[in-house]
Amino acid sequence: MLAYVARRLLLAVPTLLAVMTLVFVLVRIVPGDPAQTILGDQASQEALMAMRERLGLNRPLWEQYIDFLRDALSGDWGNSMVTGHPILQEILNVLPYTIDLTVASLIIGALFGIPLGVWSALHRNRLVDYVTRVGSLLGLSFPAFVSAILLLLVFSIELNWFPVISAGDRSSVGEVLENLALPAINLGLIMTAYITRVTRSSMLNVLGEDYIRTAHAKGLPNRAVIWIHALRNALIPVVTVVGLYLGILIGNSVLTEIVFNRPGLGKLIVGALSQRDYTMLQGLMVIYTFIIIIVNLLTDLTYGLIDPRVKYS
Amino acid sequence: MARRPANGQAPAQFALDVRGLTTSFYVGGKWFPAVRDVSFALKRHETLALVGESGCGKSMTAMSIMGLVPKDAGRVKAEAILFEGQDLARASEAKMREVRGDGISMVFQEPMTSLNPVLTIGFQVSEALRHHRGLSRRDAAARALHILDQVKIPSAKSRFNDYPHQFSGGMRQRVMIAMALACQPKILLADEPTTALDVTIQAQILELLRELKRETGMAMIFITHNLGVVAELADRVAVMYAGQIVEIAEVAELFARPTHPYTEALLRSIPRSDRDTAELYTIPGQVPPITRMPPGCKFADRCAYRLDRCQAEEQQLAPLAKAPAHAVRCWRRTEETQPEMVVVDA
Repeated sequence: MLAYVARRLLLAVPTLLAVMTLVFVLVRIVPGDPAQTILGDQASQEALMAMRERLGLNRPLWEQYIDFLRDALSGDWGNSMVTGHPILQEILNVLPYTIDLTVASLIIGALFGIPLGVWSALHRNRLVDYVTRVGSLLGLSFPAFVSAILLLLVFSIELNWFPVISAGDRSSVGEVLENLALPAINLGLIMTAYITRVTRSSMLNVLGEDYIRTAHAKGLPNRAVIWIHALRNALIPVVTVVGLYLGILIGNSVLTEIVFNRPGLGKLIVGALSQRDYTMLQGLMVIYTFIIIIVNLLTDLTYGLIDPRVKYS
Repeated sequence: MARRPANGQAPAQFALDVRGLTTSFYVGGKWFPAVRDVSFALKRHETLALVGESGCGKSMTAMSIMGLVPKDAGRVKAEAILFEGQDLARASEAKMREVRGDGISMVFQEPMTSLNPVLTIGFQVSEALRHHRGLSRRDAAARALHILDQVKIPSAKSRFNDYPHQFSGGMRQRVMIAMALACQPKILLADEPTTALDVTIQAQILELLRELKRETGMAMIFITHNLGVVAELADRVAVMYAGQIVEIAEVAELFARPTHPYTEALLRSIPRSDRDTAELYTIPGQVPPITRMPPGCKFADRCAYRLDRCQAEEQQLAPLAKAPAHAVRCWRRTEETQPEMVVVDA
């Protein structure tokens, strides 16, 4: 399995290289002069020339490309056009917040979504099933910023249980958790709704399988049939969907981050976009690709834990 | 068929006594019987074959005995299903779970899909032992290994922790049989256990079942549409058509004197290598759908000996005068001399 992981990571290299090349080309064909963007409209001709010289924009394209790759590999991702801070540093500063949030909402989603989905499937077309289905549909269609504001109103302002601004420092675990709670619940609700629906439909499929009939024919108690025989099979499509959704979630958590005033990749992306911070966007695209590759790898490894038919070869 | 005392006790020579079993399904707002008034007794150590076309209710009969008919779709009613002094027709779900896989086991048709793909075969075979016998993980595994050896899984010990997809179809069916026999059941219900297998593998599985039956002394209900298998394996045969038993007899008697026109037609439709026939014989017409069963004889539409009264009144399953153990649901049983078979053009 270690060999499999190593091979997958090795395969990630060409993917990353392709993305970096694409990023390099995209930035060069975007209309407008980066030097002009950095220095503004009032900049003198001399200043522009000097800036181009400093950025290496007047050198041949292939030279620029080699430089770009070399710098990227050595950890020099350039500086933000807006703040002037090193890009890699800015990204690494917010990355832990994003990872916390994603993992926490995944845990909440799995913890509530899987039992709810199973419960709903077992009571198919009865009241609990309808309630769960409507509830999960609401959870999916409810805009994240509305639920975020509602959570803030109730738990931060009325009840005063959690901070209104979740930025906070990361000095202690307690503090991290306190700041994480509401944003994680907010995204966790969506995740729960998602996982509930997938688990329900997948469970219904599995309950009709021959091997479930075999399990009943053995005289096993219902709980053994459901939790040992059915659930593990039902989780296979759940892992697929969650894996796909996680990638989306990392970029889409921006609404939650904005409402809770919490740093994160999503907020960084939106900030860079609105301020035309091209260098920052370059870095974000690369890091985002990397995250997707890792998430896909983890998804594939999870398959192997659930389904013995998956071979790592 | 001879009346048995209706005191709720099965006579001691019976392993299972099914009386008046009717299983209905809810179709388009109404209940329609797929199994109607089926009664038979399975003697101890006996192999009873249930024979008939697809959809004749033979599998559903077995599922009903096991209490495995899905509650939301089907309804099982019976005068009595007597097994070891209990009436399974009136047993609670909890009681049925105690019986299933312990006193009565079942082997299914599809070895490829009937085993759980994410659990090891060792786990799946020892599961029933742990549950019914309360054995520890280790004791159950030891016993399961013994049974896997008994069903002739090669190098069972090293394959104990393998998953179903690592086995061939025939081997998987052996695992299924091992699972069913784990708790040494009194009765094995085998629902077309060889239908999905290659012919050579079929023969091996049949031989295995015969051997295991001899060793364990269990009784078996063998469901099949293959009359060749019946001749090889069964002691008695019940022929089913449209949810009813239309003929039941000892195997030699049935093959020698098929009395119900359907049985006769079934026997005629076995391809034979010793006769020069240009075409295979097929029974004209189709089984009526359960939503449109005729009031009289269900086979009348396809029958070569049909009389007017056949379609009006239902015949009872009753013994032949000269062979009391041979019962038939047709007026022909009363005929002293049976007319020669008339071939009807399809």
